[in-house]
Amino acid sequence: MAARIRVSPSPHISEGLSTRKVMFDVIIGLVPAMIGAVYFFRHYAIILILTCVISSVVTELLCNLIRKVERPFESLGDLSAIVTGIILAFSVPPSLPIWAAVIGSVFAIAIGKMVFGGLGCNIFNPAMVGRAFLTASFGMLMTTWVVPATVDADMPTISASNVSVDARTQATPLAQSKEVQKKDIDKEIVNKQMGAMLFGEVGGCLGETSAVALLIGGIYLLIRKTITFHIPLAVLVSTSVFGGICYLINSDAYVSPLVHLSSGGLLLGAFFIATDPVTAPLTRRGMWVFGIGVGALVMLIRVVGEYPEGAMYSILLMNAVTPLIDRFCRKVPAGGKPNV
Amino acid sequence: MKTDRKGSFTFPGGVHPSDKKNLTADSKIQYGFTGKESAIMLCQHIGAVCQPLVSKSDEVEEGQKIGENEAFVSAPVHCPIKGKVKGIELRPHAVLGRSEAIIIEGDSEERARRPSEGEDVFGSAFDESQYTSEQICQAIREAGIVGMGGAGFPTAVKIGINAKQPKEVLIVNGCECEPYITCDYRIMLEWTYKILAGVRLAQKVSGCSKVLIAIEDNKPEAIEAMSEAISKLSMDGKIGIAAVKTKYPQGGERQLIKSVLKRNVPTGGIPPMIGVLVLNVATTAAIAEAVVEGTALTHRVVTVTGEGIKEPSNYYAAIGTSVEELIDFSGGLTEEAVEVILGGPMMGISIADLSTPITKTTGAITVLTREQIGEAKFSGRQTACIRCGRCLLACPENLNPTKIAHAVKNNMLDLAKKYYISGCMECGACSYVCPANIELTGYIKTGKILIAKEKKTNAE
Repeated sequence: MAARIRVSPSPHISEGLSTRKVMFDVIIGLVPAMIGAVYFFRHYAIILILTCVISSVVTELLCNLIRKVERPFESLGDLSAIVTGIILAFSVPPSLPIWAAVIGSVFAIAIGKMVFGGLGCNIFNPAMVGRAFLTASFGMLMTTWVVPATVDADMPTISASNVSVDARTQATPLAQSKEVQKKDIDKEIVNKQMGAMLFGEVGGCLGETSAVALLIGGIYLLIRKTITFHIPLAVLVSTSVFGGICYLINSDAYVSPLVHLSSGGLLLGAFFIATDPVTAPLTRRGMWVFGIGVGALVMLIRVVGEYPEGAMYSILLMNAVTPLIDRFCRKVPAGGKPNV
Repeated sequence: MKTDRKGSFTFPGGVHPSDKKNLTADSKIQYGFTGKESAIMLCQHIGAVCQPLVSKSDEVEEGQKIGENEAFVSAPVHCPIKGKVKGIELRPHAVLGRSEAIIIEGDSEERARRPSEGEDVFGSAFDESQYTSEQICQAIREAGIVGMGGAGFPTAVKIGINAKQPKEVLIVNGCECEPYITCDYRIMLEWTYKILAGVRLAQKVSGCSKVLIAIEDNKPEAIEAMSEAISKLSMDGKIGIAAVKTKYPQGGERQLIKSVLKRNVPTGGIPPMIGVLVLNVATTAAIAEAVVEGTALTHRVVTVTGEGIKEPSNYYAAIGTSVEELIDFSGGLTEEAVEVILGGPMMGISIADLSTPITKTTGAITVLTREQIGEAKFSGRQTACIRCGRCLLACPENLNPTKIAHAVKNNMLDLAKKYYISGCMECGACSYVCPANIELTGYIKTGKILIAKEKKTNAE
C-alpha cells in the first residue's frame, strides 16, 4: 500500500493545459510571419526580433528581482515575455535602431505589464504600450520604411525619407492611401499593389507586411483553439464594412477595403494582439463588441485621423474599455436569472 | 424500432476527458462479497438525518430497518447483513467529516445476498398494473431509496404525482458521464429487465406520458441491450431510447434535459418545475426490487477502479462496507496510488481515511496515480489567471467561473452572487480546462459555504 495518500478538491484530473503551452502556440502561430520578415528584411529582422525578445525577458527578470518575487525565474517560464518581444519587433519599422528597440521593450514589459502586477493584471497589451511609447518618442524613426530586400528600386518614394538610414526607403501602402485622399497620387497605384501586399513585398512594419503569413498563423491558432474566431472575425468584418462604406461613397478618394484589410497592423492586430486574452473581454458577446470597436476605430483613424495607420491606437483604446464591456456583457445562466 | 446509436443530443459547453471505462467495462458484477462489518451512516441522503431504531448488542436481521426519521424529506436506512449491533459510533464521512453510523458485526456463516436480476422475474411475466400507485410509493419510501447517481435525494419525495406540477416526461439517466465509472453500464447490461420494470413502475406512479432512456454513445452495447429488451417486451413506442453525445457532464440532470428535450430548468429550480422527472438507472432497478420483492436498499453496485488499483472490477457490495475492504478485495493499492476518491475523478471527493464506509450514493472508488493527476495539478501550484475564457466556454450552466472564483478569493460574496454563484452545480469542467491550474470549483464551493454561513448568522 502506498505510504501516503493525498486529499484535494475535485476535479482530480485536468486537461493538462498550461499558460506556457498556450503561449508556445502563439509563438508557433507567429513563425510564418517571422519567416516572412527574415525573407523580406534579412538582417534587420533577425537583429530586431532578437533584441526585443532578449530585452523583454531580461526586463521581466529584473522587475521580478526588484519586486523580490520568491521564484524570480518562474514567471519567465510562461513565455509571455517572449511573445511580447516578438509582437513588439513585428510592429516597428525594420530600420529601427537597436537602442530604440531596447527602450521600447523595457517600457512594454516594465510599464505595460509589470507595474500592474505581471501577467494577467495588465490593462493594456504590453507590446502595444511599447509601440505607442516609441511612436510618441521617436516619431521619425517609427515612420521610416525600408524597402523589402526582394524589391527593385522602382517604386515611388513619397514619404519623408530625409532621415539618413543606410537603406532604400519607401512609403507604405497606407501612407500612400493618405496621399490618395489628398489627391496627391492616383488610387490605382495603391490598389495595384494588392498582390504584393498579400505576399508581403511592400514597405511596412517588420512582421505586418505579409498578409498570407499572418493568415496562416492565425488559422493555426484557430485550429489549436488557442483563440476563438470571434475577435478576429469581428475586427475584419467591421473594418471591411466601414472601409466598404467609404469606398462606395467616393471610390476616388478612398482605397479599396481589401487594401485596408491586408495592410498595416490589421491582420497582426486581429489575430495576435486583439486576441490577447488578458486585455480582451471574457464573454463572446463582449468579444464581438470589442472586435467591432477595434475595426471601427481603425477605419476612423485611417480615414479621418492624421495617422495613416490605426491598429495600435484602436486596440489600446478598446483595451481601456474592456472592463466596461465585461460588465455590460455579463453572462446569464442557462436557466435564466435566479429569483434571489 | 431502429435506435440511433450515434448520439445527436447534446448541450452547450462541457469537456471531453478520456473516459477510461475500459478498465472495468468488461468486468461482470461480482456477487458474494461481504465485509466483516457494516457501518450504516445515519445520513446518506438529502433531508432529515435518521434516528437509530436499534441499540447496542441488539440482534438484527438482513433488511431490517435500523434508522428512520418521520420528516417528509428523509429516507430510512436498513441493515444489509444478519448480525449484531456493535454500537453507534462516529465514522469518517466524505462530506460531513465525521458522522454517526450504526456498526453491525455480521454472523460468520451469513451468506451474502444475491438479487434476482433476470428475465424470469422482471421480463414478460412482470406486469406493473398489479400494483397501485400508493403501493409503489410506499414501497419506495420504506425501502429507503434515494437518487443513486450521487445526489441522494429521497426518490419517494420526488416521484409521486403533484397536482401543481404535473410530470410529463420521465428521463432515465444511463449516461454515466464521469470517467472511469462503469457501475451503471454493467447493470444496464446485466439487469436490463429489472431496470425496465423499475421504469414502468416509475412511469405509473409519476404519471408521465413519455419515457426516454438516455445513454451516452460511448456505450453502444448498453444501447443495444436496452433496445433489444424493449422490443422483446413489445414496449416499442412506449419507452424510447435517446443516444446522447459523449461529453461531460452529460449526465447532469439539467444538462440531460437540455440535450434531450431542448429545455432549460430554471436556475436554482428543479426538473419537476418544467414537468420532467429524472431517475438514475440504478435507482429504477432499486425501485423494481423494492416493489416486486420488497427488498430494502442495502446493497449497490460499486466500481473499484483507477490506475492505482491492482485488479479493477465491479462489485455488488453491502452499503456500509469500508473503502479499505473493497480495495483489498480488488488486489489492493499499487505502489503508485496517491489519491483515493469516492466517486469519479471529476466530482468525486478524495478521502484521507480508508475506513470510510460506502453509502447509497457511492457508485465508485477511483484510485489515481500521480501520472493520471498530472504534474501541474499534483504540485497544486496555481499561476496567474490569463483571462483566456476557457472556463466560460466549458461551463455547461453558462456562468463565468473565473469572476466568481476571484470574487470569493477576495471575500466579495455579494459580487459572487451577482455572477450567479448559486447557479453552479460544481461539475468541475472549469477547473479541468484551466491552463493556470486554478481550483475554480474549489473556490466556488467555498463561496457557497461562506454564503450559507452568512445567511445563518444574519438569521440569528
